[in-house]
Amino acid sequence: MQDYEIRFSGSGGQGLQLSAKILAYALNLADKRIAQSQSYEPTSRGGLSRSDLVVSEGVAVYPLVTSLDYLVVLDQSALDISLPLLKEQSIVIADTRHVPEPPSGDFSVYHLPLSETALKLGNERVANIITLGALISLGDICSYGFLEEAVRAMVPGKFLTLNLEALGCGYSMAEGKDIPESAVAG
Amino acid sequence: MRATGQLQNLQGNHACAMGAIAAGCRFFAGYPITPSSEIAEKMSLELPKVDGIFIQMEDEIASMGAILGASMGGSKAMTATSGPGFSLKQENLGYAAGAEIPCVVVNVMRGGPSTGLPTRPAQGDIMQARWGTHGDHGVIVLAPCSVKEIYQEMIRAFWLTETLRVPVVVIYDEVIGHLVETVELPSPQSIEQAERKWASGPSAEFLPYQKTKDMVPAMARPGDGYRAHTTGLTTSESGFPTQDPGQVEAMVTRRLGKLEHHAADIASYEEIDCKDAKIILVTVGISARAAARAQQQARDKGLKVGLFRPITLWPFPVVAFRAASKKATHIIVPEMNAGQLILEIERLMSAKQTAVGINRIDGEVIDPVAILEKIEEISRA
Repeated sequence: MQDYEIRFSGSGGQGLQLSAKILAYALNLADKRIAQSQSYEPTSRGGLSRSDLVVSEGVAVYPLVTSLDYLVVLDQSALDISLPLLKEQSIVIADTRHVPEPPSGDFSVYHLPLSETALKLGNERVANIITLGALISLGDICSYGFLEEAVRAMVPGKFLTLNLEALGCGYSMAEGKDIPESAVAG
Repeated sequence: MRATGQLQNLQGNHACAMGAIAAGCRFFAGYPITPSSEIAEKMSLELPKVDGIFIQMEDEIASMGAILGASMGGSKAMTATSGPGFSLKQENLGYAAGAEIPCVVVNVMRGGPSTGLPTRPAQGDIMQARWGTHGDHGVIVLAPCSVKEIYQEMIRAFWLTETLRVPVVVIYDEVIGHLVETVELPSPQSIEQAERKWASGPSAEFLPYQKTKDMVPAMARPGDGYRAHTTGLTTSESGFPTQDPGQVEAMVTRRLGKLEHHAADIASYEEIDCKDAKIILVTVGISARAAARAQQQARDKGLKVGLFRPITLWPFPVVAFRAASKKATHIIVPEMNAGQLILEIERLMSAKQTAVGINRIDGEVIDPVAILEKIEEISRA
């Protein structure tokens, strides 16, 4: 399989670095290698945040992204900077609440209620995990089983149930079915 | 953390700390500075587990002094910093070069001069790493370009500094320092530990800076009963200061000649498709990763392009570079500075060759496209 590139972008504090770390762990379970880089600025909360993954069979020749296969956007302000990296086959996942104006172009856009669903699950902070579920449902990245194993390994015990529920919601949402009643109504 | 021998996702700066500990480093003194702080952080967590010592000093000058003291006490010792701190370490780095005290100094490069761009990458310390301290001195500089290579080069850094009594500087840019890559690390038990050449024989005859066949004087291990005097002044073989021109020249010549004598063991480089190459890329760090991609793409287009990557940056692997670039008409040097490594290439290349720089000084990386464009531009001409 060819190398592929994934970007998680939004604002600081949305848990995007963790999303990338969890997915990287899951990809290792699938025997893939990753190179992960992140924006590195003197801000810890708020401000643009992104985490990039280059996924390959062996060591990536060039470890930084140049042409995105998958772009996740959880904040409108994070969008413009990534547009030049999109191509025809790119899959873009944008949050309905925080990205009211999703991009349009020669690529696929999925405008999904990621943070809204998180709020309905009781904690907006799991939007990052819902996003992961949606991402692997839409893309040929890794199996649900590996991702679940990664969440179990990396999420603190007392939040595990909530995060596993979030993961399932994200996966179902992108499949366009079976979004739990609790997450939709409200 | 997962055990060794398995795939794990590891940050470059963490690999630096783990490589050092695997090599036997048991003393770290430092003053954390972006973008090297994770090295100190990791050392503070890991060294106590192996009965090592971590000290956060009051500044970089004191950190450098502390590691020299620890090394003279018999410990494998290191510090880590970035540009502003590296400038402060130069005085004691010179002391280490003069008094031949083993030590490893890591410099994770950010934009400069002065406090410059704390969080942005650069490769502006290439010349400082070689010439930062004053006077004729030898220093070894290693320039890894991946997480795994940082781990490996830290092991080699300790090997070289301990066996040759030359300070070793390990430099890489912020991108490589903060990059996380999937690696499989060897078990620490499989790593051969460097052993210093300790003084042996009758203590009355011991000379701390005696000229020997391998140019490396034996060191007095504290407690073994040998008398040794250490100073920043130029000494005779006795270790005491001298201004006798003959003795001074002999001392300086031996210290410089030591590197030449062991040149084959010190040199390290990667060479890709250089044999028939008309264009050779020479670069380090993240710029070398971009160059590797551009080199592949150029070959796919049928262009005769090779990559020569010095892993030991100083002393520059002269013999290997000249052999690799024999057929080349152009040498392209991508570097995130205004042109430093290119000066060494211009010094080494033949009159028939042309050196071309690709430079960025804006805190951003040189991407593969920029390098491929330059290759195509030269190929068309």
